[in-house]
Amino acid sequence: MRSVEIDPIGERIEAVRQAASAQALLDATCALAASDHGNGVNNEAIACLVEVLGFNNPGAAVAAVNGLIALGPEAVEPILESLDPRNYGARAWAVRALAGIGDVRGLDLLEEALASDIGPSVRRAAARGLGQLRLDALGEPLRLAVQTRCLQALVAGCSDGEWVVRYAVSVGLEGIGLADFNSEYLRPASRQALLGLSQPDGEEVPVVRLRAALALRRLDGQPSA
Amino acid sequence: MATSNSLSGTVQAMAGTIDPDAGISAAGEPITEAEALQRLRQSEDHSQQYYAAWWLGRNRSRHPEALPLLLAALRQRRPRDPGAGVEENAIARNAARALGKLGDDGAIPELLAALDDGDDGLREAAARSLGELQATEAVAVLLRRLASGPAGAGAPRLDSPRLQEPCEAMLEALGAIGIAEPGVITLIEAFTAHDRPLIRSAACRALLQLSGEARWAEPLMQLLDHPQLQVRRAALMDLGAVGWRPALEPICHTLAENSLKLIALRGLVEQGAHHDATIQAGSVLSAMDSLL
Repeated sequence: MRSVEIDPIGERIEAVRQAASAQALLDATCALAASDHGNGVNNEAIACLVEVLGFNNPGAAVAAVNGLIALGPEAVEPILESLDPRNYGARAWAVRALAGIGDVRGLDLLEEALASDIGPSVRRAAARGLGQLRLDALGEPLRLAVQTRCLQALVAGCSDGEWVVRYAVSVGLEGIGLADFNSEYLRPASRQALLGLSQPDGEEVPVVRLRAALALRRLDGQPSA
Repeated sequence: MATSNSLSGTVQAMAGTIDPDAGISAAGEPITEAEALQRLRQSEDHSQQYYAAWWLGRNRSRHPEALPLLLAALRQRRPRDPGAGVEENAIARNAARALGKLGDDGAIPELLAALDDGDDGLREAAARSLGELQATEAVAVLLRRLASGPAGAGAPRLDSPRLQEPCEAMLEALGAIGIAEPGVITLIEAFTAHDRPLIRSAACRALLQLSGEARWAEPLMQLLDHPQLQVRRAALMDLGAVGWRPALEPICHTLAENSLKLIALRGLVEQGAHHDATIQAGSVLSAMDSLL
């Protein structure tokens, strides 16, 4: 008997490449993102998911981001290499994926994106990501140095012109303030920035004030409302 | 007041925008308020006036000269003549939009007059601004312009894909102004059967705002499943403008940009307390967190 090689991931990649409609692309991307990679991550699958980020199909991009986040650190380099400065939509999705993966190799990009990206959706994703980097594997001095950079970027983000970015900054500051390994510096500095965002004379948008106040309650260990 | 204005302003700005980030490139180079006023005051360079009018609205200028200069720009319009340059009308439309954002009731009489202008783009801008200003004086004129219903005011024009009247803006204005008289309700209800989903969405939004009755939320939530992205976006913005918290889950699950979902959810937090209190603001915040 001849053994037939079955490669479901290869077929799923092909289905994404051949998708002729928005719905077909969405379905194929969902299937590829849900693939079981078994023992080894398929680089072609990563490359294909990264490509989908640039297709201007929000549904498929969400699925691709989720797939990339599930793949974790293996996806970081391909995402960083694919960044297209002319495609804001794709950049936003890439930053979201990096924010979700939480790998420290994304730090430079997240900092740069929050400080100067022209797209509010990119700055927003970056702010969230800066509050949730996974740093357990780093040694203490490096961890603190990375977190201090995150904090500084977020404090600067408090004066962003877009409410949704300041909202994301509140979420990021909460993440920094709640991290297990706080120095005497990080939590008070996060609290102070959140205080500014929680008060009407510092923040004009009610939903941002509410989110910052919720973060403060969590930092202070009170039950969240 | 300032709060609800700034949200509805955002919602309106976003609703007509394909790319949620497009406002940034439209912003051009940063200028000062004094520079904006100066650009609007001169009349040689129309593109400078156009930009200055937009700038004063976007930044909600409180300078005492902003209102008179914008009113003067609104008066620059002329009868529509497709063959001639219509630069002045473009400036007038931007001025009308800006006047809604200044929050000064002194703009109401001239905006009311603009509702009867021959330029339907200007009528649209004036309707939106009167809604933002919650100008009760505008209800009678809006009812008159819409009185012929979906088959009249809502009929397609022969020369463009637009309707005889800017129905979407006018219906939304009636909802924002908030006069829930039977005559207003009956007229808006007629538009819930319009052929175009965007008009149905605007009518349901207004009825939901005016009546608080859940039956008008149902069609909006169904439009979140509409095959066209543009329609889903409009339904998102409409549910957000009303602050209809029971729409939390459908909003999270619709296929659209997170940027727009976040704006809609902001509406649920800020406008939603007076509807259904069973969904707490905290649940909406946690949904927003996961969309960042």
